[in-house]
Amino acid sequence: MIILSRWGFARPISLPSCPYSLRRYATKTKAIKGEEEWETIIGLEIHAQLKTGRKLFSPASTSYDEVPNTNVNLHDAAFPGTLPVLDLHAVRLSLITALALNCQVNRRSTFDRKHYFYHDIPASYQITQHYNPLARNGKLQISQGENNVKRTFDVGIHQLQIEQDTAKNQTVGDNTLVDLNRAATGLMEIVTEPDMRSAEEAGAFVRKLQGLLRRLGSGDGDMEKGNLRVDVNVSVHRYGTPFGTRCEIKNINSVRFLQAAIESERRRHIQHYVTSPTTPIQQETRGLNELTLETFSLRSKEEAMDYRYMPDSNLPAVVIDPEYLSRLRTELPEMPWQVVKRLTDTYGVQKRDVETLIGLDESGFEGIRYYEDVIGQGEDKKTAKKSMNWIVHELLGQIGKLSIPWSPTLIPSSLMREMVLMIEDGRITGTTGKSIIKHLISAPAPSVSTKEVSLQDVLSNLGININEINESSIDIKTLCQQAISNQPKSVADYKKGNEKVIMRLIGEVMKLSKGTADARKVKEELVELLKE
Amino acid sequence: MRVTKCRLQSLTAPLKPRTSDIHPTPYSWINTCTPGPSTGKLAGISIAIKDNISYDKAPTSCSSSILRDYDPPYTATCVQNLMAEGAHIAGQTKMDEFGMGSQTTHLPPFYTPVHNPASPSPDETPRSAGGSSGGSAAAVAEGRCWAALGTDTGGSVRLPASYCGVVGLKPSYGMISRRGVIAYADSLDCVGVLGRDIDTVEQVFNVITRPDEGDMTCASSSIRLIAFDISQRHLPHKGIEGLRIGIPSEINQKVSSGLLDYLKGEGAKVEEVSLPSIKKALPAYYVLASAEASSNLGRFGGGWFGSPPERQSRIEGESGEERRKRIRTEGFGTEVKKRILAGTWALSADEFDNTYLKALHLRQLLRKDYRNIFRIPHPLSPSSTPQNQAGVDVILHPTAIRTAPVLGVKEAKSSNEYQQDLLTVPASLAGLPCISVPAGEGQDGWPLGVSLTSQWGMEGLVFRLGKAVEQWSKRQ
Repeated sequence: MIILSRWGFARPISLPSCPYSLRRYATKTKAIKGEEEWETIIGLEIHAQLKTGRKLFSPASTSYDEVPNTNVNLHDAAFPGTLPVLDLHAVRLSLITALALNCQVNRRSTFDRKHYFYHDIPASYQITQHYNPLARNGKLQISQGENNVKRTFDVGIHQLQIEQDTAKNQTVGDNTLVDLNRAATGLMEIVTEPDMRSAEEAGAFVRKLQGLLRRLGSGDGDMEKGNLRVDVNVSVHRYGTPFGTRCEIKNINSVRFLQAAIESERRRHIQHYVTSPTTPIQQETRGLNELTLETFSLRSKEEAMDYRYMPDSNLPAVVIDPEYLSRLRTELPEMPWQVVKRLTDTYGVQKRDVETLIGLDESGFEGIRYYEDVIGQGEDKKTAKKSMNWIVHELLGQIGKLSIPWSPTLIPSSLMREMVLMIEDGRITGTTGKSIIKHLISAPAPSVSTKEVSLQDVLSNLGININEINESSIDIKTLCQQAISNQPKSVADYKKGNEKVIMRLIGEVMKLSKGTADARKVKEELVELLKE
Repeated sequence: MRVTKCRLQSLTAPLKPRTSDIHPTPYSWINTCTPGPSTGKLAGISIAIKDNISYDKAPTSCSSSILRDYDPPYTATCVQNLMAEGAHIAGQTKMDEFGMGSQTTHLPPFYTPVHNPASPSPDETPRSAGGSSGGSAAAVAEGRCWAALGTDTGGSVRLPASYCGVVGLKPSYGMISRRGVIAYADSLDCVGVLGRDIDTVEQVFNVITRPDEGDMTCASSSIRLIAFDISQRHLPHKGIEGLRIGIPSEINQKVSSGLLDYLKGEGAKVEEVSLPSIKKALPAYYVLASAEASSNLGRFGGGWFGSPPERQSRIEGESGEERRKRIRTEGFGTEVKKRILAGTWALSADEFDNTYLKALHLRQLLRKDYRNIFRIPHPLSPSSTPQNQAGVDVILHPTAIRTAPVLGVKEAKSSNEYQQDLLTVPASLAGLPCISVPAGEGQDGWPLGVSLTSQWGMEGLVFRLGKAVEQWSKRQ
């Protein structure tokens, strides 16, 4: 239980965002001489919107792209006399995120005010957790190969805290317009240790975190919408020498831009140290120009503000009962990387395919559950692999072409399972399997009755009798001979050396067999017959 | 009591809203609506509210130019509770700007003054009603309303009550919802009740002391239940028999021995107690109150709240930041600016550890002192300190070092001011219930009050002892 005891972001820089059509990407610049002697040190500060549907301290709804100032409670506008009321759901989501990041959750955490005067913050202070954050000292392991990283390593989590988002402001002519729809939305600020050494490593961390947030349901990780924003600290130094001065690049809204910003900053720093080795680089806050993919200076650290942090006495301390915490810990779902490891280890299936299944439903893992229903308990590796192919390549391939969204009821897992097993037994051919899928997705049975639809019904619907199509009962040889006599020109072409023509003959056989013949066997038979 | 005796009938007398001639009035706004028939515990009763308590029918300005004619779009929980029990909101009362002051003299230039109505004779020089809830105390004393709500951050209800000869209660911190009360210092602010006698104050208090989901610092029903249980166990069966009264040795001002003798005669035990941290705690109050004020008042001048000063557009060539500076410079009075600056300084990175954190520490020490001298356990952590069986139940001392001062006389800052704060601030820092009850008069014939402080949640106990003090006063 979360007990509330009584006694208890950074400022966004608005950059003009560009429509996609205007985005051009800079081409790779020349390598700097001796570049490989330098090491890049990267730390991240991530702001992830908490997916609670309401604001952190008021009952107003969270929103995206709605009419400005329509989702505002008096507290969001800091009206005199209004008081914050903490959304405990936001605390719960932050706690499970902290646990999934292996953090130590503070038994008692408190809220503080960070003061500054600006249009985007009507109260002139942001409520955050400065002195006693929710959690500290976590880590997330990045494995070799993720986002092409070259090593397996841990990214330390310095701290995780809950705080308010600011309003959006826009300069129109001589005026600044403010939209309070985003104001006071709950955020998790996740600060990493400077443990990343390349743009790919930073990208891998953000991607992994996105998957984690989506799986937990604590955030949607959507960078395009600004629901996940990244500030990155970059410094470079020669191996074996102390760390260099760092610069912070703020408000990056895609993993690609993050990597571009790090790359641009890395080069800028090396260039600086190479050309003027005696002057240290200026510590500053920078932005990324999304057109040129170069960073530019926003403000130097000398202009850094004194935020006058102060405990917020309107909010009681959040005291976490250890029992509640251990219950949350046991309720943590299997993480994306854990299911990848389990399925690839157990069945030898492809990592990419498991990731495709995860992508079907990153929060509920419906795709993974569907797959596991199809392969059943203790199934052997061969069936598991075949099932993966039928689901990921055939089923998803076909619905992809037709732009049908996937759902576990589209082809019930029991039906899919029966079909895969029959193909394996050789009772039906793969071609029939494809037809079954095509039939089922183009005319899906009403969802109520799908469960009662048996594979038998489907096959009889398609006019296929299992006994007839039993391999042994098809006289492939007869069909092939008939095809050869039907297509004398193709036979002549083949004999002249145009071996590709055999495809036409295979097609003829398939037509004659109404698609029930096994194409591989047909080809073997034809090759034999044509040798004569 | 010399206070004009009148209740509802006085409301029939015509009053001009926003009186702007020379006539002093405690009101900044007067409700001209005739109260309709109502039902409830406060049916037909007129109650005035301090000008920092939001009421959607009235401009709520905190006596500040910066909020002139600001109409709050909602009503404070405590006012809603009053109206739900049938009370009529008589008007809003003047105060020191944002509650900063002790004489209700920090007013906007267009306000008429507030005079203390408790004058022993009609030809006396006008005196201060005290502050910052001077308007509320004067409104009760002159009798046009039956009771009034004030707010108390460091004595703002108790001091004016003492000067005006009325009863003023600062409840335990968290007993009355602060939702809708424009903040001065969140960790100290309490809504208080002023009335002619303890019965009145108790009646109003009982209506507005309840949990509020809109204020996380407002005590929940479970905590109230614990406090009620403890309070029942410690209330004397009869009168004040067996009640233990402590007289703090650190306070120089003494109450009349006649009063003490009377209380002893009624069965109370009187003994000296010591609060060693009380003097060191005073600077903590100045630091914490001004630091929180600098934070809370940051929202004004940003153009959000629709008062005419806030709505001003930019002067040509002025940046948004310059506009904010100008509005704040013009809109806040001298005292408010002084405290904002002091608070900003206390919170600055270089000073924080040495001022703000130290103040928090001193506040803790003072709380510990109180825990040590009370026999009654603290309901919020009943088991954290061993119960002092030999401890006292209520602390008693004068509310003020003097009777109401004459208005307009500028007194040199002296140790007097410090002595005065020593009488009201400690209960605020510790979040304890404290009531000022009229107890005789000074040599000049103006009223004097005594303060009764008890453990958190023990309002019942201070009311009980307060009634005994009232009995004694009536005999004088």
